[in-house]
Amino acid sequence: MRDPYSVLGVSPSASDEEVKKAYRELARKYHPDNYQNNPLADLAEEKMKEINEAYDTITKQRSGGGGYQSSQSYGGSYQSSYQGGYSSSNQTYAQVRSMINAGDLAGAERLLFQVNQRDGEWYFLSGSIAYRKGWMDEAMQNYSRAVQLEPNNMEYRQALAIMQRGAGGYRPAGYGGGMDAMDCCTTMLCLNCLCGGGHC
Amino acid sequence: MFGYVRPFRPELKCKDFDLYRATYCGLCRCLRRRYGLIAPMFLNFDFTFLALVLWEEEEGWEPCRGRCHANPLVKKTMCVQSPALELAADESVILAWWKLRDSVQDEGFFAGLPARALSLLLRPAYRKAARQAPDFDRAVRGCLVELSALERENCPSLDRPADTFARLLQSAAPAEGTRGRVLGQLLYHLGRWIYLADARDDLEEDRQAGRYNPVTARYGPQGDDGALALTMDQSLGRMGEALQLGDFGCRSALLENMIYLGLPLVQRAVFDGSWAQIKKQKIWRNDT
Repeated sequence: MRDPYSVLGVSPSASDEEVKKAYRELARKYHPDNYQNNPLADLAEEKMKEINEAYDTITKQRSGGGGYQSSQSYGGSYQSSYQGGYSSSNQTYAQVRSMINAGDLAGAERLLFQVNQRDGEWYFLSGSIAYRKGWMDEAMQNYSRAVQLEPNNMEYRQALAIMQRGAGGYRPAGYGGGMDAMDCCTTMLCLNCLCGGGHC
Repeated sequence: MFGYVRPFRPELKCKDFDLYRATYCGLCRCLRRRYGLIAPMFLNFDFTFLALVLWEEEEGWEPCRGRCHANPLVKKTMCVQSPALELAADESVILAWWKLRDSVQDEGFFAGLPARALSLLLRPAYRKAARQAPDFDRAVRGCLVELSALERENCPSLDRPADTFARLLQSAAPAEGTRGRVLGQLLYHLGRWIYLADARDDLEEDRQAGRYNPVTARYGPQGDDGALALTMDQSLGRMGEALQLGDFGCRSALLENMIYLGLPLVQRAVFDGSWAQIKKQKIWRNDT
């Protein structure tokens, strides 16, 4: 295993507070919420596991192997609730879901198109496949349709909400909130600065 | 179609600006050494981004001094030659070549003459580049054939043509391993974003010329800036997520600046029409 301090990007002499801060920042970055349905979700999950282990190791070492520290890290329980928490009553849909999770998008698409009756879940799954492929416009349309057909389904609504936040999600410190916080004048100023400022 | 990917300078640290400039100059020198005097003329900011992401992970970078191609009296700080830079140079020449061929096909005989002349000049460089990176050349050619077929049939989907261009750029990354997956996703969404930004930018021109435009085909003649901006934001979001999963060493901060600040501002400029002015400006100058 890698040195837990280098995983968190702090020096071994860092204070408990600094370690905690570094851990929080990394956990915010690789949180499963940011990578829902992302084709790279497994990589984020690995990173999350790595930093959780590193943090646990450090807290254990620092408290002298004592009792209280173990459950301080978070994140471990999220992945399972997204991947396995929702189930399909329909056999084909369940199969499509597992194919999507395994990354077999072409297969999932083929199977899904054999289904004649198109309900909310059909559109939701079709949207998930599009999302994974990076076809954001079609994902958006399909998710919207799914929510329209079954407005009370939390899974569909959550998927649509993630799409509607656009480029939101994690930003490193200093990039938070993007440019939306700026007023009109600053924006104009910024646009000029894209190229080093003004009349060149 | 090119020049959309640039850093946002006021938020850039001096060392990151130096790195950016050194990469730009290094790529220029690499193009000159490998492909002669013509190829560096086609250098642009997008190719510099490509060189930055393709670079091996390094904690620091070695600057070296070299003569500027544009002005041989001046010496500039440059990145040293490396396999990643050479790959970026090969791919840049291939992209520049196919972009020219695309213009030749799009325009009529007389309007296409400048592009025709330029492509004649670039031809030897392209031949060599296609030998160096045959897989990439094949992928680009294949995607462009698909793209022009979609354009001919006036494809009503926004994602389908954007996907074709996205896959084109995706093939610039090495295919294998975790690094390949991260870079692939990053470049895929960059390609999608560039295609859509370019389509929005050409909206007016295409309308007047009566040409195919994916934005018009999807949203109707007036377009729908809100929906288009949202779908482009989603690609920016995916790029940011991929960026965080990769190891870019000393280039992380620069790449973060380009993706989190530069691209959204360019997008905004494309939507409000100020891009036409901004794209002509250079990054380097400071003479306000």
